[in-house]
Amino acid sequence: MTATLPTAPAVPAAPLPAPTRLRPVLRLRRSRPDLLVCGGLLAAILLVQGWNITGFPALSDDEGTYLAQAWAVQEGKGLAHYTYWYDHPPLGWIQIALVTWIPAALSPDAMSVAPMRCAMLLVSAVSAVLVYVLGRRLGLQKWAAALATALFGLSPLAVVLQREIFLDNLAVMWILLAFCLAASPRRHLWHHFGAGLAAAVAVLSKETMLVILPALMLTMWRHSHRDTRKFAVTGAVTACGLIGLAYPLFAFLNHELFPGPGHVSLIDGITYQMSRPGSGFVLDEGSGAHGVLHSWLYYDRVLPLCGLAAAVVLVAAARWSRTGRALAGPAAAAVILALVALRPSGYLPAMYVIQVLPFLALALAGVAASVVGVLLRSRPGRGARWTVVRRSAVGMLAVTAAVLVVPRWYEGNRPALTVDANAPYRAAASWLGDRTNVADPGGTRVLADDAIWLDLVHAGYRPGTGAVWFYKADLDPAVTRTMPRGWRDVHYVVSSPTVRRDAVTLPLVKAALEHSRPVASFGEGEDRIEIRRVAETAR
Amino acid sequence: MLTSVFVCVVSLALFWMAAFTLWWQMHAWRTPETLAGTRFEPPNGEGTLSFSLLVPARHEQAVLEHTVTRLLESTHGRFEILVIVGHDDPETAEVAGKVAAAAPGRVRVIVDTHGKKNKPKALNTALPHCTGEVVGVFDAEDQVHPELLTHVDHAFRATGADVVQGGVQLINFHSSWYSLRNCLEYFFWFRSRLHLHAEKGFIPLGGNTVFVRTEVLREAGGWDPECLAEDCDLGVRLSSRGKRVVVAYDSEMVTREETPGTLMSLLKQRTRWNQGFLQVYRKKDWRQLPTVAQRLLARYTLMTPFFQAFTGLIIPLNIAIALFLDVPAGVAVVTFLPAVTMLVTFMFEIVGLHDFGTQYGLRVRFVHYLKLILGGPFYQLMLAGAAVRAVWREQRGRSDWELTRHVGAHLAREDVTS
Repeated sequence: MTATLPTAPAVPAAPLPAPTRLRPVLRLRRSRPDLLVCGGLLAAILLVQGWNITGFPALSDDEGTYLAQAWAVQEGKGLAHYTYWYDHPPLGWIQIALVTWIPAALSPDAMSVAPMRCAMLLVSAVSAVLVYVLGRRLGLQKWAAALATALFGLSPLAVVLQREIFLDNLAVMWILLAFCLAASPRRHLWHHFGAGLAAAVAVLSKETMLVILPALMLTMWRHSHRDTRKFAVTGAVTACGLIGLAYPLFAFLNHELFPGPGHVSLIDGITYQMSRPGSGFVLDEGSGAHGVLHSWLYYDRVLPLCGLAAAVVLVAAARWSRTGRALAGPAAAAVILALVALRPSGYLPAMYVIQVLPFLALALAGVAASVVGVLLRSRPGRGARWTVVRRSAVGMLAVTAAVLVVPRWYEGNRPALTVDANAPYRAAASWLGDRTNVADPGGTRVLADDAIWLDLVHAGYRPGTGAVWFYKADLDPAVTRTMPRGWRDVHYVVSSPTVRRDAVTLPLVKAALEHSRPVASFGEGEDRIEIRRVAETAR
Repeated sequence: MLTSVFVCVVSLALFWMAAFTLWWQMHAWRTPETLAGTRFEPPNGEGTLSFSLLVPARHEQAVLEHTVTRLLESTHGRFEILVIVGHDDPETAEVAGKVAAAAPGRVRVIVDTHGKKNKPKALNTALPHCTGEVVGVFDAEDQVHPELLTHVDHAFRATGADVVQGGVQLINFHSSWYSLRNCLEYFFWFRSRLHLHAEKGFIPLGGNTVFVRTEVLREAGGWDPECLAEDCDLGVRLSSRGKRVVVAYDSEMVTREETPGTLMSLLKQRTRWNQGFLQVYRKKDWRQLPTVAQRLLARYTLMTPFFQAFTGLIIPLNIAIALFLDVPAGVAVVTFLPAVTMLVTFMFEIVGLHDFGTQYGLRVRFVHYLKLILGGPFYQLMLAGAAVRAVWREQRGRSDWELTRHVGAHLAREDVTS
């Protein structure tokens, strides 16, 4: 109610509403200390993540997939160079296509996985700044927001995963933007509306973001004002819903919403994703999910384990702790994502953890800020000596944490900065591009994994039917049709670890591997890449 | 290809129009601080200004007495009421004479002897008789809050304004499907959009609960007797001369009104306003506004009824093109942009209706929300009809005054709620 005075006599005197609280608006753009701290951290993160970005980690098949699809978008070949089958919403690689457009136009050959990882630096940089801004907007002090940013950008786990061309990295950037807008200090209607839009873009970049929308809503609820809340929240939900519905609408307009003979459909895509064979319970040793967890903890234990513990503490303490309430949104997001990962029947992809990293970082920084706050809180009646003791305790804690973490992170980040894991890939690509080895790439059919595929296309192999994503030979009827004689129509197989792993379930690829012999091999042991020629005599 | 380009251009234009309208419509709720700033400040001390309240009444014998009696309950000490009746309207004159006799010194009756009568002429007739420092205008069916004058007095003194526009609110949302939408239109206009206009320095004033310093009004030559939207015209003329206008809306303090009794009379009323807006646009007073942005806002606002009407007509056509003609999927998605904006507007209207119910202590039922949604397209159609009719009448040079009749539907409601 808006009454400001006692009203008509018949109306009982309503209690006067509290005057709207005018709070000081946080203006980070004009705060020099904030700019300096954030800028310094950003430089460090860009240095660590950018150094040797093409060399480490090893090129992943998924990176190749998304970049190839981004290439297809740039080339005007639709949403993918094979039939787009609604495996993921396409907005992620449409964004990759936009970001890499100019470099790809200047140097078409650079449009392959290793060089284009540099585009991800931009995404990492934006995300890191957003983590800082979000931390500040949620009430963290400068040092705590900086700690969150450092955890988010410099953890060896983050360094490895944020370098890769994964849709999750883009989705994280958008959801962080959504959180920042939801926590707008001006509590502006259109900022909240924008939060809804950003959240929708995040979901359309990587659909798993859907599960943390409640946490975003929580943040918005807490940071909106009673008088304008219903408009703000409705605006955000509407914006998110309407943009989100553009995807099914798109499918509908293409007559591909519902399953039917002879075409792909959105429903089929969702059914596939929901029915992917589970990777087991994450704490069950021997399950696939446990292996994934182990691979994360191999790089860093501090952020995933301590961060999750911090998130749980914050959620549990939300009733009586101010920090808990302030950070309830990010902490809830981390907890929800952890619970989803704990489903025993679910499929846990290796990049899943990317989505939870910023929230873990914020939760951990929040708990650290809380602990320091409690230690430094002055109590009346205690002398100066107590102050010294408390300050020393904080100092000791900081030093202990640094001693425990910094050497591990140093060790963890060292390979990222020094190891060249992709030399075999480069050598294989260069061998296949050499006309003395393959005289007529345009007339040659190669089965290869997605990571090297764009290199082959640049070397002159026909995209889709000459350079073939190996599993499409078995799984995509449009490709299988072009190979009436099965494996006999294949000239080369680039046998990478991915190809060898998946060939078990792909009869044509398996046969091609069996009927071929290596003509060149790069690297050692499990990680080697062989170029195998299918025997002439066998054809 | 040509179809695609055409569809994209139309869609984007519609999108921007709808988006701007929405942006302005939601002005008051942008931030909690903006919302707090739209209210009357609590008055301090005794009022020092004197008011002359003009109540033009034509065939309003049913409601006039109630309105004047209620005005007399005002807690402010210094005001006079001037009831303006036509010389050819003995019924209303009789009621007016009765209330004047009951409150000698407070109420006077002014007789308008113009051959062809309309509201601005009636107001101009009374202007020389005003003795107050501030002239206020009310309609004969208005429900005015007793504290209003005190608040307005404070607003004049606190802000140094030349004009204070108070809120006007249609209340009888339960009467029919169109009255529901009509009430909500008022809600968004007075609660929100007018504040934006006041802030930007270009404002089409409302027809009542508007207060102008008497010398400013006399200097401006009163109301334009030939204009069908004399209120809008006065606002445009005063803001073009750089006069300061303040708008304040308080649900307790608004002047309560009723929607026209039939859809036809609503259509006529809207036609009159549209035609009035068109006349004001053609008078070109707004060209004296100092900044380009203000002039653009003026141009857009005065033409809004027409944009709005055609938006409603073109959106379905556009979607039909997207669905039934063979355009690329990307283009089809663009054609949905204006519809998406409309949907956002719809959602905000639903919340607006809820807020309206909360503000006025009225019970809004599910069926009202349903009526709001289902009535939307038909209301757009009515608006489109009124716009077309207005252009046609203006073209034909017909500018007679189509009066809206009042039956007092909001009075009963008022007694229930207060």
